[in-house]
Amino acid sequence: MSEAVVLTLRAPLDAALDMTGITPDRCAPLSRAEIAALPVWVGRERAVLGDVFDVRGERAARVEIEGDLSKACGVGARMTSGLLHVRGNVGDDAGQAMSGGVLRVDGHAGDRLGGPSPGASKGMTGGEVVVFGSTGASPAALVRRGLVAVAGGAGAYAGRGMIAGTLLALGPLGELPGAGNKRGSIIAAGGVPVPASYRWACSYEPPHVRLLLTSLRRRFGFPCDPALLNGRFDRYCGDAGEPGKGEILVWTGHERRRE
Amino acid sequence: MRAARVVITARTMKWARAAAVKLTGFATSVIACKCEAAIERELTPDETPDARPGVSALMFTMDTDSLGKRLTERIGQTVLTCPTASCFDGLPDVPDRLPAARALRTFGDRFQISKVVNGDRYWRVPVMEGECLLQESFGMQKKGVGGGNFLILAEDIDSGLDAAEAAVAAIDGMPGVILPFPGGVVRSGSKLGARGYKRMIASTNDAYCPTLRPLTTSALPDGVNTVLEIVLDGLSPDAISAAMRVGIDAACRSGIRAISAGNYGGKLGPHHFHLRQILGAPA
Repeated sequence: MSEAVVLTLRAPLDAALDMTGITPDRCAPLSRAEIAALPVWVGRERAVLGDVFDVRGERAARVEIEGDLSKACGVGARMTSGLLHVRGNVGDDAGQAMSGGVLRVDGHAGDRLGGPSPGASKGMTGGEVVVFGSTGASPAALVRRGLVAVAGGAGAYAGRGMIAGTLLALGPLGELPGAGNKRGSIIAAGGVPVPASYRWACSYEPPHVRLLLTSLRRRFGFPCDPALLNGRFDRYCGDAGEPGKGEILVWTGHERRRE
Repeated sequence: MRAARVVITARTMKWARAAAVKLTGFATSVIACKCEAAIERELTPDETPDARPGVSALMFTMDTDSLGKRLTERIGQTVLTCPTASCFDGLPDVPDRLPAARALRTFGDRFQISKVVNGDRYWRVPVMEGECLLQESFGMQKKGVGGGNFLILAEDIDSGLDAAEAAVAAIDGMPGVILPFPGGVVRSGSKLGARGYKRMIASTNDAYCPTLRPLTTSALPDGVNTVLEIVLDGLSPDAISAAMRVGIDAACRSGIRAISAGNYGGKLGPHHFHLRQILGAPA
């Protein structure tokens, strides 16, 4: 048993790589040879993981991937437990249909981060996705439970149809965030065009945001400015077409009075 | 005994302490207060889950049901009501869990919101001030120890209080230990049962009452005119022993004739703290 399974990209990807199902929970009971034999798709061709990655370690619930996976989709998809740490970028559909564990991405992520499997009614149902860069369009779509935290910005349609759960973005969010949001929380620290279907409630210091930011900073070194930690947020309730129990919390930049 | 550690944070230490003082109020003895509780120590922002100033308090009860109920009642009436206060579990690594704050979510009248952070569930309860954040479940230490004690036998009340206050100051802030009585000191140490009243669970410890010296089988040496007791509850026997050692050492000063302890015929519980052993002297 190793401390971690380490996958190092053998060569830059020149075709799309489908990483769906390469998860820590799946690697946990497997030997190095069995992990290297896990099936993946490279473009239209079937391949095994060992063709694309140099595999080190075995039988560990912690998987580290080294290399630029911008062309890889489904990284961490259907994860149920463990830690998947990507030291680079990931492509579309990372953390798709996750139900547990932690997906950490030190670079940027593509579209549909933490979203649903094609045709499914729910996105993530648990776990945490922590991205240190930015993400593309439609992150945290149809999320039922869990956290998507992005240190950079996000594209359009962030938190589309959120059922519950939390989306945190320290950078700017694109157009139409929280469309169809039922009970989800969108925490926007870098600017957000609040849709007209959300109604302003108050300006306050939400204690759970402070807890969440502190937890992320301590566990992952997530870049949380003290001004953000001590800051006030405008709370907007919505989406109006839904039960309206969702929220967009917008950092106002006003720091609390020092004691 | 069953024990829980409650961490209360607030915008300032003043408000965290205000909530903690109320949380641990009227909790000197399980005999009449249903629980024993006190502030353990103050916490810096680095030590609290939300990086705010905080206070940790320990609560002890005789059984599991009671601990859950006391936590729910007291958190609901003190932390939920205190401006800016939040409440967290201080024993996260303990496997036995009590969902003590789960019932409090209903104060939110279906406007409450659940959040899971790092695997732990929290409730955001909307209140007039803004929002109250409560961690749902609390770790329960099944092998807490209550009723650790030592007696300070003094020549007079001045020297007795000086010694007791010194002992309390020395113990204050030690991890895993609380002194649940007023100022950490008890003047009315008790014996089990009563001589004259069948239904009394406890009554005055007449052997150590100076006014009864000629009327009972007194345990007081000559020259002792007052006795004060330090009662300790702890998360483990080791925590109690460490605190007693420090406290007794601090109490040994001018005007103190002897240090003793009540063992109640060995009937109070399975843990015995032998003073000579604790102080490292031969038995």
